[in-house]
Amino acid sequence: MNEDAMIDAAKRLGAGPAARLDVDATARRVLERLREQPARRSTWIRVQWLRIAAALVVVMGGAYAVHQVWPTRENAGHAAHFVADDLNGLSTNELQDVLDRFDEMISGSGTAAPVEGSGDLRELDPQQLKRVLRSLEG
Amino acid sequence: MAQPLPRTETTPDAALIAAWQTGDEQAAAELVRRHARALARFLTGAGAPESELDDLVQETFIRAFRSVDRFRGQCQFRTWLMTIGGNVLKDFGRRMKRRAVIPLDEMVRDVTGDPHELAEASETEARLAAGLKALPRLQREVFLLRAQQGLEYEDIAAALATTPGAARVHYHHAVRRLKEIVK
Repeated sequence: MNEDAMIDAAKRLGAGPAARLDVDATARRVLERLREQPARRSTWIRVQWLRIAAALVVVMGGAYAVHQVWPTRENAGHAAHFVADDLNGLSTNELQDVLDRFDEMISGSGTAAPVEGSGDLRELDPQQLKRVLRSLEG
Repeated sequence: MAQPLPRTETTPDAALIAAWQTGDEQAAAELVRRHARALARFLTGAGAPESELDDLVQETFIRAFRSVDRFRGQCQFRTWLMTIGGNVLKDFGRRMKRRAVIPLDEMVRDVTGDPHELAEASETEARLAAGLKALPRLQREVFLLRAQQGLEYEDIAAALATTPGAARVHYHHAVRRLKEIVK
């Protein structure tokens, strides 16, 4: 079959079924379906939104429950961070007071404090005191 | 409801589309009357069974009217309509496949199955229909848009979001393969 014969055949293809199509009836039916289906579409959209909202509630509720049962380690991280930050705002005397408390606690439990090159905390400068406190935080 | 547009056979599609967008149902009905038969020929060529043809034509127009805001005159309305028809037919084929009542190839593509059509179609048409069903979808649709509907490559390309050169290549591949299949 050559190309011209193909084109001729293609032009005839479907001519019978197309001629039998009642286009006025088709147009009426299309309009009827267009009138009917927007309502169904808005219902569908409402249903989809309800499903999304329900899924969000389940996810958020689940996340809250999980958070309550297994607190994340993030909080511990924040606490350590805040303690370290607080050290920067302390004066030498305040730092020494804090270390005295630690010293008492450590002495009470029989553990020696890791003090760098000195047995007396009062001889340390603020930078050394901060290093000692941070090492105690672990 | 908008005031109905006074219509004549020469009222451009664009005017009817604009009227439909303002709610003129008669403009939509006129578009159906104007393009339904060409669409039916295209769908039949692409493999639609005649028993489902009316429903497929309706579904195509419904989808087109619902998404008409996306039609910006990039091609003829009829060409755009046929690309939607191709998608409608593809979805129909999927539904039939899921139901598995009748094998897809027989249900969607075999135009020789209907005795009435068989008597009506010439041998050449029957061979072409058989050849078309062996083509990839894009080649089949480009071939039908060009050979059956007589559309320009520029129009086909705009409707299929490709280039005229690519549309031409698809057409020539289709012709070459049809020649091999329909010897």
